Amino acid sequence: MEISIMGKGLRFAIPKLFSPQLHRVMRSSEARSHRTDRKIIFLAMKLTAILIVICCLHVSANSYSQNVNFSGKNVPLESVFSSIEKQTGLSFFFNYALIKNSKPVTLNIQDMPMESALREVLKNQDLDFYLQGKTVFIVKRQINPLGSKPNTSEESVIKQIDVHGRVTNQQGESLVGATVAVKNDKRITLTNEKGIFELKNVLENAVLEISFTGYRQKEIELAGQSVITVEMELSDNHLDEAQVIAYGTTTQRLSVGNVSIVKADAIAKQPVNNPLLALEGRVPGLLVTQQTGLPGTGLKIQIRGQNSINSGLDPFYVIDGVPYTAQLLPNLGNMLGTSSSVGGNYTGNPFSFLNPNDIESISILKDADATAIYGSRATNGAILISTKKGKPGQTKVDFNLQNGWGKVPHMIKLMNSQQYLAMRHEAFANDNSTPSAFDYDLNGTWDTTRYTDWQKTLIGGTSQYTNLGTTVSGGSTNIRYLLGGTYRRETTVFPGDFDNKVGSLQFSLTGSSDNQKLKLQLTGNYSVNNNRLPQVDLTSVAVRLAPVAPKLYNSDGTLNWAPTSSGSSSWTNPLRNLNLPYQNKTNNLISNLVLGYQILPGLEIKSSFGYTNMQQNETKLTPTISRAPETRPTYRRSSQFTNNNINSWIIEPQLVYKQMISKGNLELLLGTTIQQNNSSGLQLLGTGYNSDAVLGDLRSATTVTVSSSVINVYKYNALFGRVNYNWQEKYIIDLSIRRDGSSRFGPASQFHNFMAAGAGWIFSEESFIKQHLPLLSYGKLRGSYGTTGNDQIGDYQFLNLYQPISVQVPYQGITSLGPVGLTNPYLQWEETKKAELGINLGFFSNRVLLNASYFWNRSSNQLLGYTLPVITGFTGITKNFPATFQNSGWEITLSTVNIKSEKFNWTTSVNLTVPVDNMKLLAFPGLSTSSYANSYQIGRSILVNPVVHFLGVDPATGIYQFSDINGKPTTTPDPIADRTILVNTNPKYYGGVENSISYKGFELDFLFQFMKTMGANNFLGYVIPGAAVNQPIDLVNRWQKPGDIASHQKYNEDLTLYGSYSNAVASDASICDASFIRLKNLSLSWKLPKIWTTKFRCSNARLYVQGQNLLTLTHYDGFDPETQSALALPPLRIMTFGMQVGF
Amino acid sequence: MSFKYIIKVALYTLIGEGLLLFMGSCKKLIDVQPPVTRVVSSSVYENDATATAALTGIYANMSQAAMDGSGITSLSFLPSLSADELTLIDGYTNVGFTAYYSNALTNLTSPNFWNVIYPVIYSLNEAIEQLEAARTLSPAVKQQLLGEAKFNRAFCYFYLVNLYGDIPLVTSTDYTINSVLKKSPKADVYRQVTTDLKDAQSLLSKVFLNATLINTTKERIRPSYWAATSLLARTYLYTSAYDSAEIQASSVISNAGLFGLTSLDSVFLKNSREAIWQLQPVNAGINTQDAQLYILPDEGPGPNYPVYLSRFLLNSFEPGDRRWNHWVDSVTVGSDVYYYPFKYKINMVPSTVIEYMMVLRLGEQFLIRAEARAQLGEPNAIDDLNTIRLRAGLTGYAGSTDKNSLVAAILHERQIELFTEWGHRWFDLKRTGTVNKVMQTVTPEKGGTWNASWQLYPMPLTELKADPFLVQNADY
Repeated sequence: MEISIMGKGLRFAIPKLFSPQLHRVMRSSEARSHRTDRKIIFLAMKLTAILIVICCLHVSANSYSQNVNFSGKNVPLESVFSSIEKQTGLSFFFNYALIKNSKPVTLNIQDMPMESALREVLKNQDLDFYLQGKTVFIVKRQINPLGSKPNTSEESVIKQIDVHGRVTNQQGESLVGATVAVKNDKRITLTNEKGIFELKNVLENAVLEISFTGYRQKEIELAGQSVITVEMELSDNHLDEAQVIAYGTTTQRLSVGNVSIVKADAIAKQPVNNPLLALEGRVPGLLVTQQTGLPGTGLKIQIRGQNSINSGLDPFYVIDGVPYTAQLLPNLGNMLGTSSSVGGNYTGNPFSFLNPNDIESISILKDADATAIYGSRATNGAILISTKKGKPGQTKVDFNLQNGWGKVPHMIKLMNSQQYLAMRHEAFANDNSTPSAFDYDLNGTWDTTRYTDWQKTLIGGTSQYTNLGTTVSGGSTNIRYLLGGTYRRETTVFPGDFDNKVGSLQFSLTGSSDNQKLKLQLTGNYSVNNNRLPQVDLTSVAVRLAPVAPKLYNSDGTLNWAPTSSGSSSWTNPLRNLNLPYQNKTNNLISNLVLGYQILPGLEIKSSFGYTNMQQNETKLTPTISRAPETRPTYRRSSQFTNNNINSWIIEPQLVYKQMISKGNLELLLGTTIQQNNSSGLQLLGTGYNSDAVLGDLRSATTVTVSSSVINVYKYNALFGRVNYNWQEKYIIDLSIRRDGSSRFGPASQFHNFMAAGAGWIFSEESFIKQHLPLLSYGKLRGSYGTTGNDQIGDYQFLNLYQPISVQVPYQGITSLGPVGLTNPYLQWEETKKAELGINLGFFSNRVLLNASYFWNRSSNQLLGYTLPVITGFTGITKNFPATFQNSGWEITLSTVNIKSEKFNWTTSVNLTVPVDNMKLLAFPGLSTSSYANSYQIGRSILVNPVVHFLGVDPATGIYQFSDINGKPTTTPDPIADRTILVNTNPKYYGGVENSISYKGFELDFLFQFMKTMGANNFLGYVIPGAAVNQPIDLVNRWQKPGDIASHQKYNEDLTLYGSYSNAVASDASICDASFIRLKNLSLSWKLPKIWTTKFRCSNARLYVQGQNLLTLTHYDGFDPETQSALALPPLRIMTFGMQVGF
Repeated sequence: MSFKYIIKVALYTLIGEGLLLFMGSCKKLIDVQPPVTRVVSSSVYENDATATAALTGIYANMSQAAMDGSGITSLSFLPSLSADELTLIDGYTNVGFTAYYSNALTNLTSPNFWNVIYPVIYSLNEAIEQLEAARTLSPAVKQQLLGEAKFNRAFCYFYLVNLYGDIPLVTSTDYTINSVLKKSPKADVYRQVTTDLKDAQSLLSKVFLNATLINTTKERIRPSYWAATSLLARTYLYTSAYDSAEIQASSVISNAGLFGLTSLDSVFLKNSREAIWQLQPVNAGINTQDAQLYILPDEGPGPNYPVYLSRFLLNSFEPGDRRWNHWVDSVTVGSDVYYYPFKYKINMVPSTVIEYMMVLRLGEQFLIRAEARAQLGEPNAIDDLNTIRLRAGLTGYAGSTDKNSLVAAILHERQIELFTEWGHRWFDLKRTGTVNKVMQTVTPEKGGTWNASWQLYPMPLTELKADPFLVQNADY
């Protein structure tokens, strides 16, 4: 074989620290098949010394004074070296092949200086030596180690030499597996586990090309040097930045899968409390929807559209190799909004407990190639989060202090007192009735001259945002550490004292043995959260409360319940919610240990051991003081407590094998996963307290009821493998396979296989492209196809189960049971087939990078909650859905370096996602007789909702009218037959534009997010207009008399027009354009000049201003086109100022 | 070299074995035990205690639900709103109540009873299937539970058919069949109700049992033979099988050992001699949901206490009726007097539980027999009517004794005796055909417009979407 692989057959003699067994390690397959060709370097060195070979060699100049003794007869040369090593502490470095044919040594020397002794030893051999530091290099005698011209007849001929060297990064760490190629030659080798390579018989004037993932390629002219050190520089090119992928890393250049990445610097620019919020607008194919503007808000995350009808929509999340929960357990935080697509009380988001500042990068994996190795868990894509790790070098201390303010960016225009009162009076007139004793706003109970802007009063406050972070990091080549601590506090825009406090600790320890064979990485993230909020989002109150409603406080400072003459409260004072506290204390630990050992050159065995533990304790107290005074005597105080725990462990042993085969890099991965999740949740209801003061103490309750309890175990086991072959960085294929077993399925179908293949052709490496298209610096065609699955169906769905019914006083004194749901013992794995084609282009030395991809996902046999009529006993059953759906779409990113100079830099990055099909129904056997007959249609997306068409107000009667199936106006449309309009609230396209401009020490970054979509509006108000609830100002445009052309029907307060109102709500009248362009993020920072920082003895200092949700351009008239809710607090506009100092 | 070789071979073997081990033990690695918080259904009906717990769960759920539509006990409230018994305060913004009140239900506003009762029927169907197949239960327990299940199924269907008219008749647990069911005619539903009740009569105990289902108790909170008989009497009355109704009602009335009329203030107490079936409250310190809902505070009605008795009902009381004093109470706010149902008297929290929610009681049986006998032309109809009247402090019936007058008098008596109990008034109006006449006056006063179709509640829209064979009731 032509190519010599240095990494192969390497052997170490490690005299002192390792046992003799390690002394002789392994041999490669090649070595086995070509025993005689075996090229083994026998490397002997001390473990504690780091081998640094430099280009200039000086030997005899500094002689080594230590003396040695030796006596022996016919001793193998190797043993003589060993003996000298022991006596002197020197290490010997040599090629085993060199001394293979050496003669045994017979010698007797006493107390001779080492160098003289060694000359004696090598006297009769074909060998010479030179000394470098504490290392003795043994070389062939004809190569003059001193660099002097050998005294031979071949003087004028270019000689062939053996080259060895080491490849490191800028910190001096060895780069393992770097490619070393001889230019204009066919020979290629990889560096071994110590970053060392060897090439034999290379022309002494040859040029070496050295490349490594994430680093700039480097060329080295040998110029006769036989020993070299190459220091590689990190690439500043997006193409070659390292990307974290499933079980490994790659680069955009070499990746055949679709992976987007958001790095720490982009995250750090955004004052967000959840790292997933930092992804908004930055990643093609990813839709992040914030549910509320409260700290700890629920978030909905969709990668490439909705992939399932109503369950299992979550991507697969992995933090430092450890799977992380996508949903919290059922809890009490209703006002936070749900992260779950199926609704229910799965409120809040588990990533609220992960500090954004601790994150190094977030990778979003989308296509089959990138996700198939996660098998059953990645139908909806995967999000990999990698936390910060220590870097070798001096100990660095970094402080970051940020302080800011948040406001509701946009209020809804509501009626004022006059308009409101006019509406109310007119409603009574329309109904031929008069205000009753209970119409407090009109019957004189309330002062109708009052006006309160309830939005300003209840949600118009300013929230405080404080973030203080410290990081200490550093270490040597073999031990690196990072320790980070963060404290964050956010308050709310509500009146009252509510806040969310977070303290988090991040640590990482990376270690390796001197020979780099044993590797260890321990990472941990621990956070303590204390979220204190009112139980009700006051936004819902603020938009509905009558503007003439009474004042909040009595003159004595107590809450005003505005009693009528009889003493009955005439309103529910909104500030009663301040007396309804909610508290969520969550402690979250995510930790992972990776241990790796290189058992053969190129072959590493490693295993990760992950553990997560999330402990959530909630309290929700309902004191008497929160109730209207007259209801207090019959009110029973209560408090609710949640104690939720999710813990999981995962062990993933893996074998990784890297090898050059022909001119390609082969990478093999074989592994297994053993995972277990334990969820336990307990919700307790205490009632019968005798005082408001003791509500927090469950012992003071006279009755304690367990309102729900969850004890679930989920087990998962898989075997997976991946083959990646990269031929000359030109042709790449990637195959992955996984066999999954999940406890969520019935015994008959617990296991399933998933596989994927991806291929890439970097055509810009072809010579004809290089010749004809010199502007094209990079071009890659890639494609992938594969299958993934989904087991997000909840635990125990295949078992028919009964659970206890929680009542405070057991019926007849015994526990009672009730069925949990319909069950399906035949649950099977669902399968999604994913295909993707993509092209990546780089122009002008990759200053312009364009990526475009088109994907098709087809899912069938979907596992989901199949809707059933409740006459079956339940509203649904988890079953394999017989239908086939398709998702497809375009994703395009363009990043350009507009200006690049010493002082001024400007880069732009644009991403655009155009969904083509989202849940388009391709086939559904038996549709016409199924529960979905009235909802779905073949060839149409199931997310398209057919509704009745709204025709405005009938000028004659003043009542809303609608189009029937024949287009004729009707006031009583058939809610099923007359649906003629298809409403699609899925985005038509969305994306973001990022700009980054730097001038000297200034850096300005801004991100515009945009989306074209339809959404729910406030057009029809919040309840039927005319009732004692305030309405959007648009509702003044109502019908008053025959002939009026108005946009709203006549006011009505006795609800006789409720049917017509609710028909309108269900019609297309409640859908509007919710497109928007938003200045999502702006960050301006100024790096203090060097002279200043040295004066203050810090290495760097930076001042910055950041803003989030600064400006939204939209026609949408509600609070926010993203949340599309009039009842939930919209995402806040946040401005912060900060300072960062490094020492 | 050979030593190195051995090491290598050993390592490879270990790795290989390790991987094989993982593959081989895969099955074991993902085996989970059923959750400790739940019981696998097959084992529920394998022992007496869990089987009893499953049926008891139905009563616990019934008793726990509030009367806002979340449980079957809301029958003592929402149909009363639909009929002429209650007044809802003006300006009340809860559409759920307002729609019932103004007879303006839509397929969006009234999922209550449908969505609440059918899941119970599923539990009962499963209980019946499992109990019929059960081999390890004590015979006495199995018999009683099967009887309770059939009784309850009849109870559920009785109300469904009266609320909705024709309805899907679900008698198995197979969702593939049930999800595409068509509606069955009312007569078929009544036939099923009758069959189930007769089965229940043959299975249920004639004495009141505690949770062991073997020992007796004075608590009347599990259905007995007498509950089945009472409901059967009512079913026969509703289906005009008057002679059968008379027989069944007589059977209950004649059991003087267990049942007897009590004084007005004792009727709704727990273990009352009038009780045929009661529900035990399960919310600590709270007596009945009825009292929580109806009893007005001194401040009078308001958003937190939105209903009071209507003038239609109040005006129907005869002078001297002691039920006016004992079952109705009032609160005066300024010049306005608001009357409210006061059958259940304890609404303070916490308080000792002395009242249970009455489901079936003897008073009704007298009125059933009176009506049946009147329809059959039997003169002793007046005796039963007078039994009820005399207890209320009224004189005996002195009106015309022709059939129509007598039946009308009995219906009037039912209106006064059974107000705000289990939808009696609403159902009486409907079954006697007087609903249109009465509601044409009442509905406009409540702010609505009466349409004869409104006497049936609409099916929820979600159901119509999910079951393609379900047809909405007329005019919705």
